[in-house]
Amino acid sequence: MRRVSRIALAGTATVALAASLSACGGTSSDAASKSSGGKDKGLAISFDVGGRGDQSFNDAAYEGLVKAQKTFGYKTTSQEPTDGETDADKTARLVALAKQGYNPVIGIGYSYAPAISAAAKKFPKTTFGIVDDSQDQAKNIADLVFSEQESSYLAGVAAAEATKTKTVGFVGGVDVPLIHKFQAGFLQGVHDTDPKVKVLSQYLTQTAQEGGFASPDKGKTAAEAQIEKGADVVYHAAGLSGQGVIQAAAAKKVWAIGVDSDQYKQKALAKYKDYILTSATKNVSQAVFNLAKSVHDGKPESGIIRGDLKSGGVGLADSNPKFSGNDAIQKAVKAAEADIISGKIQVNSK
Amino acid sequence: MAIDMKKKFALDKERLLLGVAGPVIALVTAVVLTSVVLLASGKSPVEPYSIMFTQATYSDVQVLIINQAGMYYLAALAVAIGFRMNLFNIGVDGQYRLAAVVAAIVGAKVALPGILQIPLLILVAMLTGAMWAGIAGLLKVTRGVSEVVATIMLNSIASSLIGYLYLPSVFGVQVGNNKTTGTMHKSGWFPGINMGEAGEIYGFVVIAALLGVAYWFVLNRTRFGFDLRATGASESAAAASGVDAKRMLLTAMLVSGALAGLAGLPLLLGDTHTYSLTFPTTIGFQGITIALLGRNSPVGIAFAALLISWLEKASAALDLQGYDKEIAVIMQGIITIAVVVSYEAVRVWGQRRQQRRVGIELAIAAGENTSELKKEVAA
Amino acid sequence: MHALVGENGAGKSTLMKILYGMQKPDEGTIAVDGEQVTYSSPADAIARGIGMVHQHFMLADNLTVLENVVLGSEKLYGIGGKARRKIAEISERYHLNVRPDALVEDLGVADRQRVEILKVLYRGARTLILDEPTAVLVPQEVDALFDNLRELKAEGLSVIFISHKLGEVLSVADEITVIRRGTTVGTAVPAETTPRQLAELMVGSELPTPETAESTVTDRPVLTVEGLRLDAEGGRPLLDDISFTIHAGEVLGLAGVEGNGQTELIDALIGLKHADSGTIALEGDEITDWGTRKRRESGIGYIPEDRHRHGLLLESPLWENRILGHVTEKPNARGVLIDIKAAQADTRRIVEEYDVRTPGIDVTAASLSGGNQQKLIVGREMSHHPRFLIAAHPTRGVDVGAQAQIWDQIREARREGLAVLLISADLDELIGLSDTLRVIYRGKLVADADPATITPEELGSAMTGASAGHLEHEEEGGDSVPAARKPQPEDES
Repeated sequence: MRRVSRIALAGTATVALAASLSACGGTSSDAASKSSGGKDKGLAISFDVGGRGDQSFNDAAYEGLVKAQKTFGYKTTSQEPTDGETDADKTARLVALAKQGYNPVIGIGYSYAPAISAAAKKFPKTTFGIVDDSQDQAKNIADLVFSEQESSYLAGVAAAEATKTKTVGFVGGVDVPLIHKFQAGFLQGVHDTDPKVKVLSQYLTQTAQEGGFASPDKGKTAAEAQIEKGADVVYHAAGLSGQGVIQAAAAKKVWAIGVDSDQYKQKALAKYKDYILTSATKNVSQAVFNLAKSVHDGKPESGIIRGDLKSGGVGLADSNPKFSGNDAIQKAVKAAEADIISGKIQVNSK
Repeated sequence: MAIDMKKKFALDKERLLLGVAGPVIALVTAVVLTSVVLLASGKSPVEPYSIMFTQATYSDVQVLIINQAGMYYLAALAVAIGFRMNLFNIGVDGQYRLAAVVAAIVGAKVALPGILQIPLLILVAMLTGAMWAGIAGLLKVTRGVSEVVATIMLNSIASSLIGYLYLPSVFGVQVGNNKTTGTMHKSGWFPGINMGEAGEIYGFVVIAALLGVAYWFVLNRTRFGFDLRATGASESAAAASGVDAKRMLLTAMLVSGALAGLAGLPLLLGDTHTYSLTFPTTIGFQGITIALLGRNSPVGIAFAALLISWLEKASAALDLQGYDKEIAVIMQGIITIAVVVSYEAVRVWGQRRQQRRVGIELAIAAGENTSELKKEVAA
Repeated sequence: MHALVGENGAGKSTLMKILYGMQKPDEGTIAVDGEQVTYSSPADAIARGIGMVHQHFMLADNLTVLENVVLGSEKLYGIGGKARRKIAEISERYHLNVRPDALVEDLGVADRQRVEILKVLYRGARTLILDEPTAVLVPQEVDALFDNLRELKAEGLSVIFISHKLGEVLSVADEITVIRRGTTVGTAVPAETTPRQLAELMVGSELPTPETAESTVTDRPVLTVEGLRLDAEGGRPLLDDISFTIHAGEVLGLAGVEGNGQTELIDALIGLKHADSGTIALEGDEITDWGTRKRRESGIGYIPEDRHRHGLLLESPLWENRILGHVTEKPNARGVLIDIKAAQADTRRIVEEYDVRTPGIDVTAASLSGGNQQKLIVGREMSHHPRFLIAAHPTRGVDVGAQAQIWDQIREARREGLAVLLISADLDELIGLSDTLRVIYRGKLVADADPATITPEELGSAMTGASAGHLEHEEEGGDSVPAARKPQPEDES
């Protein structure tokens, strides 16, 4: 008898709890909508792994959020993800935000794709945004995507012009399709400018969980190796790890090219800014703000909103006087930019 | 006879008390220390708990908790079976991810009817996990490489291997900016339990629970389980009792890996139906915490898995209420440390207490039979 | 020189640990030189001039004597010439005869013990505690040790020594304290005490003697070992050309100073180590290649020398310990499943029949005293009716009552045709219980003797390698009892 009861206990603990607990109580969003739902709520963003402080696109998105908050004077919120969460967790978070009355709700990063689709179906009146993904083009979803390959192409042109050793480097944070776009554009830009220039490429990790976007030490080691092999311009698309790349370049007195935001102006990198030739910018902050603005204005954006050279969503920063003052480079870059915008140059994205 | 029963009952109660004391001490410590942290940062030391408890009453959060707990449970069982014989399988993380990838690929390439497809996928996942863990087992048996080192290395290798497997040129399908293994055939989707508004409980959670029963049965009722536990309790005594240490080690590693291989399936078969960049990682590492907290017992692990899942899922709401959800992470960390310390303390205390009690009981017994001359029980 | 005597488990070691600061007392006080002290660690005790020589030596084998002595107290005299001079001086003064540059691994047991004593003196000890110092020595070495101790006493040092061998205690101590079950039951002055009085004080009952009445040896060989060789990693032989036969109903006693290959022989017989050459046969089956489990299933019983390491799961309940080693056999198993009910019932039977003092079978093995643990092991092994029993120190650390009981059980099983390999450091036990005696020295069987006539001293001299071959009792031979049959090296098989 005792034996049976112990087996029963061991075996059914999970199932019993599952069934009994689930049977009771309303859902959290029922409760949330009861308790709130004020009209004072505006933009909400939900970060990708890494969250705030990544010196990269999470931070850029937050910048857009702050701007929206100041401009429209409403309540905003930003949510962090947990390590190892599932799509269901992401959906739950987005749903909770929508239910509380936030609008628009933006997921930062392609990992939100399934969650955005699910949440958008449940809340057709809320505008959802997703950065870096364009799979679901429902009416209440704005796909904020960027042509990173175009700005990377320009970075490649600048690198090919600037190199003296005829060797340049590319450091990617994680070996994922998104970063492949940076590499593809950069490679094409270099080769179109000077076919004799060799490009060394390296990815820091296979998965984001291993810290490819968040490990300056890894970036530093990779850049040092490339510089050792003769690279005198190093382009990174590695988030926070890129700080290590820039550090290594500054230490060896070679050029670094930054990414996402204008890294020449970043406080954390002020010490090395003389070695930051330029940055391939990706204006996430503007895209986030624009979406918030369109919702605020009552004309919410929908479908694919592409940031490219033409729209100014991506570009090449020219804060470094040594870059803006270098005529040869400027001439080549300007020419390439015009050709891309006019469609004369098609940039590969893979 | 009545006295016998009473004694037995007392011993059972004592064992239960000792079993529960460890986790309770750990939890109380964690709550107290976390409250101190909250106080120190000038926030209410009570409200976060009430928010989190309220969350647990919502049915959709419950579904999330149970689904997560199901995966944690499998991972923790895999860790626990190693722990029961002093093997530290840190590689559960790599094993379940690799197993999920391989199962996802097979599920996308092979289309059998569901009655065959699902068992096939389960088998594939178990074999993959077992093979990956088996490498560490073999290295230990033949070359004496510590399984801790080997499994950590294998975690990294698994990541690279996965990166290779879902390259578009190999088995991968790129969807937007995401790398996936392509969508699995419907026959391999594991039916879930529909909870209406609240969502769907993965059907595989039931399998996890059944495996908990199997784990208990094998460990406590079979010769193999006895040998395994004996090896864990005393390697030298087990060897002298006839356990082939190397074979046992390899077997335990294979079983652990096979269980680990299942940890990703609730999600894979029940929800995503593809392995992608966003497939959750670190389930294996949480499994270690949960196995420790649950004292390697199937019931304990079930509670521990639910507890950790609750901390994770309920803490999501803290962000919205102005608290940092890292509170839950702090709690988890403290629980893990406190558990290790309190278990050891309780164990030593319990052992002393039992020795003393045995001494006293025997002294009383000796006192009753004064006619008997030979007596000797020293503490 | 103060001796502390008591049976094993009486609390001698615990008391010593308290004196040396390894354990804290719950109540009571300790005074050194009239001053009350409390220690929190052995370091405090050392600072007070108390030194301990443990039963198991704590020396690093691959270091020299000098290095071992200096290790951990480099601050005292450095590690160079000064330390060497100090060691030479101590060695000289107490006639310890220690060579500073010898490697410890090359030293014999008695030499190692002297190194331990020197180590303690080097650290400035004025009071030495020796825990069972004679347990590992043969009689001749014991005398030498006592000479050393007398030197120490003459130099004004105090010696506390723990023993349960009464003869020694009476011959060397100035004062004796007897403890039993954790309390002092008496003190004695050797000149006014007989061993018997002391023994009765110690155990509260009479000392049993291990004597085998009549021979039950048959000519049916049960265990035949031929040319067994086992090499250490480096190729040095641990066992060298071991051959012997044990017949049904025969107890073969193996004498030897610990560390001369007994452990390796046991391991080779039970299957924990596999022979590099030679064969082992159990009643016609060659078992040389068999694993431990198969050997145990086929009827080899095993009472291990270290029951905590090899005989028990200390933190498991008694009934699980009853299964240990016999998990595939009845009544413990039913197919691949464990039959818990039957195992528990059988544990109750063993507890009853073998007089294991325990409040129940659910308590952990660790909560029993050494003697009761041993009774459980003996009961367990005997319950499976082994054909051949390895009994290694079967009564070590066991109280007198249990000792007699265990001897009885071995005798009884022998009568029913059991073949026994008895390994013991207790020469009285060996001589009293064995039908045949063999001496192992440096991995070889160097001598054999007739237990009916041999004396412990004669056996002891063979154990140190001083004599070999067939040992004859020297002065006489009149009233010898029918001798046990000598094993024939090669008969049918």
